[in-house]
Amino acid sequence: MANTDVKPRPLPKPTPATQAFWDGAKRGKLMLQWDPVARKYQFWPRANSVRTGRRNLEWKATSGKGELYSFTITHVPTPGFEDKAPYVIGMIELDEGVRIIANMVNMTPDEVEIGMRVKVAWEKLSDDITYFAFEPDKRSRAKTKPKSKQ
Amino acid sequence: MAGSFLDDKEICIVAYGETKIERRGGRSAYEIAAEVAEQLYKKTKLEPSDIDGVTFTVPLSECSNPFWSGYATEYLGISAKWLQTSDIGGASAIGNITRAAMAIKSGLCETAMILGVDAPSTQWRAYYGSYRNEFWDPVGVQGPPGAFGLLMNRYEHQYGLDFQGLGALAVAQRNGAIKNPNAYEKLRQKITIDDYINSRQVSSPLRLLDSVMWCDGGNGLVMMKTSRAKKLGLTDRVYPVSYAEISNFDCANQTPDITTTGHSVVGPKVLKDAKLKPKDVDMFHPYDDFLFAVMLKTEQCGFAKKGQGSQFLRDTDLGPKGSLPLNTGGGQISCGQPGLAGGGVNLTEALRQLMGQAKGRQVPNARNALVTGIGVIPYGRNWGTANAMVLVN
Repeated sequence: MANTDVKPRPLPKPTPATQAFWDGAKRGKLMLQWDPVARKYQFWPRANSVRTGRRNLEWKATSGKGELYSFTITHVPTPGFEDKAPYVIGMIELDEGVRIIANMVNMTPDEVEIGMRVKVAWEKLSDDITYFAFEPDKRSRAKTKPKSKQ
Repeated sequence: MAGSFLDDKEICIVAYGETKIERRGGRSAYEIAAEVAEQLYKKTKLEPSDIDGVTFTVPLSECSNPFWSGYATEYLGISAKWLQTSDIGGASAIGNITRAAMAIKSGLCETAMILGVDAPSTQWRAYYGSYRNEFWDPVGVQGPPGAFGLLMNRYEHQYGLDFQGLGALAVAQRNGAIKNPNAYEKLRQKITIDDYINSRQVSSPLRLLDSVMWCDGGNGLVMMKTSRAKKLGLTDRVYPVSYAEISNFDCANQTPDITTTGHSVVGPKVLKDAKLKPKDVDMFHPYDDFLFAVMLKTEQCGFAKKGQGSQFLRDTDLGPKGSLPLNTGGGQISCGQPGLAGGGVNLTEALRQLMGQAKGRQVPNARNALVTGIGVIPYGRNWGTANAMVLVN
């Protein structure tokens, strides 16, 4: 349970460019912006394609699966996480070819390993905001070999 | 572009100024600027009325003021023909030398003062926007240490990381700060590699002693045409001879190798433009927000092989008389980081060395220096702005 010293966790304030992401999150769908010209995904959500500069991005629901590209164990918590330290922050490479930084949940710090398969999990923070996190996915296998350029 | 627009040595730096670094000193960036400017007037015998160009680094403590440069120059009593503030953070110090050189060369101004002054440990006024509110702050990432924890773990996964090497760097820089009266007083105490290894984890594998501490302070310099400096009898002259800068390196790539930074481009370029090989570099003054950033730059500027930066630091004498003198005044990690004026800590030490004024830690026969800057921590990468400059005397 939260102890009394826990400050409120910062809540996202959606904007017109990001609203679809948060609408998807409320339904348990990890939405990504798809560039129809480059035929690639991008993250984090914004008004323009980082590849073409055009504002023609489409939203697609994704698998929510990927592998852990890197992680850090946070010992000095930020506001809202005072009762959780030490906690794991992951950088996840989704099978769709983007990276997301997120909390790793339903695991302990000693279970974390680069390359492990992970899937999206959800935390309801308010009536409006359901926030993404990731958890170990022991059953999942990569659809295509995730490519991390060496 | 072949070569550098600076390599004709038409422009020179004639003086540097620097305050002692304090923590929660209570002074504003304006008051700190006054001290730096006074040092510069005294060294050059110039008056405020002689300064007709000024460029600043945006201070964290004043960045809510959209008219910072105007307010600050009004405070100092300077009527400027060319005025600007750079917002490339710790890359602004050497970035501003280049911007001022362009302004002088193009005739916009004749005598430029470059100031980096900030008091974030007294007053913090930054707000970021963009992805931060929605995709970063709610995740609980421990700011820049969190970003560097992610970067260091990935590097360790790909190449291995010898923490003894980072510890050796921490010790070498601390030895510099002990000999540097401008360093934050509480940091002027000896440490050992074990102290580094045993310092508490902040965002693992990043430790407390990997990191800078927010402080207050300022630094600055005066630049002009070399012909004018000679006419004025200013004999302490340092010449910036090559410069390169890149912001948001490889940014459209959504799955980059985050262990490769913009310094892999700008480091080799400035050395080539200055006709130097890494072995010809007399001293290295890399921007040091974290020890790991210094380590990566030893690789990407060509001193160490890729993946072997930590071994290089472990096996190299980094002191003033060593084979690669590095951040000989302690760097920001051991002097304290005066906010976004931090890039000037590394730069000022290079100038002090090149003018032969680094008492008790002088690099013998120092003829050139490689100085780097880092600005901005981006989402899930390494650093936003990477720049580098070669200076000679």
